[in-house]
Amino acid sequence: MVELKNVDVHYKEGGVDALNDVSLRINDGEFVFIVGSSGAGKSTLLKLLTREKTPTNGRVFVNGYNLSNLKNRKIPYFRRSMGMIFQDFRLIPNLTVYENVAFVLRVTDRSSRYIRQRVPYVLNLVKLNDKARAYPSQLSGGEQQRVAIARAFAPDPGLIIADEPTGNIDPELSYEIVEILKDINKCGTTVLMVTHEHDLVKYFGGRIISLKKGNVDFDDYIGGDGDSE
Amino acid sequence: MRGSNFSYLVRQGIGSVWHNRMMSFASFCILMVSLLLIGLALLTSYNIGVIIGNIEDTNEILVFIKPDVPDSELSHISDRLRSNYSYVESVVFVSKAEAWEMMKEYYGGDGVEYLFESIGGEDMPSTFVVSLNDITMINTAVSHFRAIEEVESVRASHDFAEFLISIRNTLTIIAIAVLIALIVVCLVIIYNTARTSVFARRMQISIMKHVGATNAFIRFPFFIEGMFIGVIAGAASWFLTMQAYESVVEIFTQDIMILEILGLSNLVAFEDIMWYVLGVNCLLGAMLGALGTVLSMGKHLRV
Repeated sequence: MVELKNVDVHYKEGGVDALNDVSLRINDGEFVFIVGSSGAGKSTLLKLLTREKTPTNGRVFVNGYNLSNLKNRKIPYFRRSMGMIFQDFRLIPNLTVYENVAFVLRVTDRSSRYIRQRVPYVLNLVKLNDKARAYPSQLSGGEQQRVAIARAFAPDPGLIIADEPTGNIDPELSYEIVEILKDINKCGTTVLMVTHEHDLVKYFGGRIISLKKGNVDFDDYIGGDGDSE
Repeated sequence: MRGSNFSYLVRQGIGSVWHNRMMSFASFCILMVSLLLIGLALLTSYNIGVIIGNIEDTNEILVFIKPDVPDSELSHISDRLRSNYSYVESVVFVSKAEAWEMMKEYYGGDGVEYLFESIGGEDMPSTFVVSLNDITMINTAVSHFRAIEEVESVRASHDFAEFLISIRNTLTIIAIAVLIALIVVCLVIIYNTARTSVFARRMQISIMKHVGATNAFIRFPFFIEGMFIGVIAGAASWFLTMQAYESVVEIFTQDIMILEILGLSNLVAFEDIMWYVLGVNCLLGAMLGALGTVLSMGKHLRV
């Protein structure tokens, strides 16, 4: 579960109010699109949820952790409860696809036996079993993002945060990426996807949270065009 | 941490040495030169210490015994000198007759034998030549020996002893200062070299932070990498130190006179200390390499 209670974020540099009295709640198992133009507060919201930043006022709860008073030494353990997907994929270039996914499991101190079972399973989910030995530079943008999704899902987290996951790939592949995230969501994982692509949001529908100038401008469910197809 | 993950991180650390070979080579060269300088400074300091030690060993205290003390008492006095004072290294007895012969030998010569005719060996005092194991105790020893009832007088070269003590103290301070300065300079250079290497891998560190790696987990491969380079640089600098040291010894030993004049006849043979030097070089190299690399990660871990 993700919950923000009366959260303000104020940047001293430039005197900018990035978020103003934001309150929202995302229940376990939801799939939520977060939209908004540049400067709306999306990046700040993500930084709050990953505990890269703490709010100026208010409280933030993610996966049972109160991030407002989370000690620095506990941050790694909190981050293990979620998966992150980035616009620029952020794969480790000198590791193969298999090793990139296995890496996150090693970080969480999983056994070699578990890693040998889990990595092929998640690579199969994103249909990349045949690319296990390839390096990121040998993959297309869409394939690299699928590896990033496999890496985020490998530790079986309760929450996946995707920051513009379709921003660096061909538009026709964007739908495929969201489909994969939807499949992961069906397994019970909460998915929070930040995007600029309104066509994508309209197509898939569901819960949409729109941010505007640091405030929640819209938070409701819409029907997707794709539902009728 | 599981054994399998531990060995994985060790492999990652050693693998990084090759992946970042240019930076590894730069760190290796810096460490090797620094350790070579540190090694030569330590060897110089060690040899000077040994030379001063040898000179100190020749600095003796003469303890003159009163003429009326019977010969039967002399062995007791010798035993007391040996056993009552922990700073006494050795006690050598010089009898009246031996002292007389030594004096005649020293002052005698053609045409002056008549000077010794009027006096006899019986007038010479019995003497103990005492060597100390710690030259700084010379004043204490003199006052202790003077307090012995049977002792008539004590003679010691205070000025020379104090001169040696001050040289030793000054050299110790200089050696420590040079060592600290070299270590700090080396650490700063390694820190900056490693920073470039860490900067090149900042994305990797950022990914590790985002997937929940602890700082210790992230640092560990860098620690191994720095330590590995340090140990190799330590071994290489040991080899260079050996070559340099043996060349210097060879130059000196070509002319024994130089050694005698400079008091360097007791230069320590490298074979006697080679394992000690190798151990110090590798340990210091590992510490400097690991510390410099780990310190350079600072701000990249604050994600």
